Amino acid sequence: MTAARERPAGHEQARLYVPEVATIVRARDLTPRDKVFVIELPGRRNLGHMPGQFVQVSVFGYGEAPISVCSPPEKQGAFDLCVRNLGSVTGALHALDAGDKVGIRGPFGRGFPIDSMKHMDVLIVAGGIGLAPLRSIIDSVFLNRDEYGRLVVLYGTGTPEDILFPAELEAWQLEEGNEILVTVDEGGPDWAGNVGVITTLFSEVDIDPVNTVVAALVGPPVMYRFVLMELEGLGIPEDQIFFSLERRMKCGVGKCGHCQVEDLYVCMDGPVFSGGQIKKLHESI
Amino acid sequence: MPQQAVIDESGVREVLGRALQRTRVMAPVRRGRTAFDFQWVEDPAEVALTYSRTVLPPKKAFLPPREALLEFRRSPEPTSTPSIEDEPFVLFGVHPCDLTAIGQLDWAMGRRHEVADPHYLARRRAATIAAVDCLPDEYCFCTSVGSCETREGADLFFTPVDGGYLVDVLTAKGEALVEGACGLREPTRAELAVAESFPDEKVRRVTAGIDAECNELPDLLDSRYDSEVWERTAERCYSCGTCTDVCPTCFCFDVNDAVNLPLVTGTRRREYDSCQFLDFALVAGPHNFRPERADRVRHRWFRKFVYLLREHGMPFCVGCGRCSQACTAGISLTDVINAVVAEAREGAAA
Repeated sequence: MTAARERPAGHEQARLYVPEVATIVRARDLTPRDKVFVIELPGRRNLGHMPGQFVQVSVFGYGEAPISVCSPPEKQGAFDLCVRNLGSVTGALHALDAGDKVGIRGPFGRGFPIDSMKHMDVLIVAGGIGLAPLRSIIDSVFLNRDEYGRLVVLYGTGTPEDILFPAELEAWQLEEGNEILVTVDEGGPDWAGNVGVITTLFSEVDIDPVNTVVAALVGPPVMYRFVLMELEGLGIPEDQIFFSLERRMKCGVGKCGHCQVEDLYVCMDGPVFSGGQIKKLHESI
Repeated sequence: MPQQAVIDESGVREVLGRALQRTRVMAPVRRGRTAFDFQWVEDPAEVALTYSRTVLPPKKAFLPPREALLEFRRSPEPTSTPSIEDEPFVLFGVHPCDLTAIGQLDWAMGRRHEVADPHYLARRRAATIAAVDCLPDEYCFCTSVGSCETREGADLFFTPVDGGYLVDVLTAKGEALVEGACGLREPTRAELAVAESFPDEKVRRVTAGIDAECNELPDLLDSRYDSEVWERTAERCYSCGTCTDVCPTCFCFDVNDAVNLPLVTGTRRREYDSCQFLDFALVAGPHNFRPERADRVRHRWFRKFVYLLREHGMPFCVGCGRCSQACTAGISLTDVINAVVAEAREGAAA
């Protein structure tokens, strides 16, 4: 299995770096630092992305930042971006609301190999804001439920207040064949759920290693190593494990060099890589 | 017109003077006592026909240190238009190593990943390139990286002969530049012989070099990924980024927005960036994928002699000697690579 390649359209023209003006049609605070935007392209055209692909979001005067799409490809007429307020561009985005305009380039990169996940159990391993890009797969599975086996989501985050998409987590849990497990680093008095790092959740679920495909995005690079060890410990083949890597792409089109990992560019060859690929790349995680 | 002719120095300046009446000309100009730089010239007399190397390579004609990608408006609605520069110009005086580098950039910016950078390509297509052959100094090692006899990419190629140059007309664009020049005449047999032996003389004079064939380098370096040479080099390196700024094959860039007062319009610009800078591989978190100076030093050599060499079949180094000459800490690119090669060979023999 290899990551799916979706060649972004319109590449050699004069408009390679020109963002398209898109409209924020809804904006909602998820946590004090995470905001989700629903965005429409002109003519409500579909973005045409694969789960795991990203766009470059522009706020003129502040710059451009790579953000993963967090809605499924099936969503018509608009797409969702979940943005954590961490820097200049993301800070400027947080100041925007419904009716405001942003610039969009993309989608870029290779997404998760969604077609090869069909008829398999899907294990999602999400750390912190990593849940946002993975929501595009979870929702896609949800919308085509009979094409997949079990859906298991392991989600770890800082505190109960940091939990993204809590209502959706509950809705996913209600569906038969889905198991959603959440853990937090610090629970607090009202938290009755799991406490501990994400790897503590692996012992709570039964995984059929042969028939499971994993999609993971877990935050600090060191967590990827622990998660990869857990997944290998379960006996899941490395070519059935897919991680999405984080880099700060300046161009998104394989030129600027910022996302280079050895001989690969995360923006073109990734951001989704197989466990086998990641293990061979010194600087990947 | 004939495909080969001889022209003396004043004839070359006359060709440049006639070009200046029609178009812009970028050529090497002496700066201070010992330095040269590619500049937009106004007078052909300024042009240095013979020079060692320029501070910045001629890539700046196609990929300037800072350029506008877009002009934008922030309100009432964000809009932007690309800034494409396609005004014709003549780039005169490119040495074969730098010509090789332009070919590498044509691939990296123009074709790699099947994505063509419109800003680079517009300038590239607008250029008529006149290359001039040269003799090496102690920093040159074009013989080690296969760049000393490159002609591809040039429209005209000038080889020094006694009192002038043998001009090879390689393209129609080149022909248009010299057509009608009054100083052109048929080469003599002696001049043809001098021109023919010029590359041999050049090769004979090269003293610096890499102690391995290019195609051996990826495996040799790979085997020394954890070499102490990277650490030892890092102890001297200041992470100043001079090496990448002066490199004719480096093309990494940063993108940023500059807003004009009263904050309505602005420019999205790209600028040279350097993998030697601490924040080059920084991501939110924050996490740095190359936090140690040694990581960044190794990345520079690996990118040139492992990653891009494997991908493109040629090293992303053309032996121009600029980084070694310009390095504030006196780090020599060839010394570093030769230390690693020696270790690798020792390791293999042990």
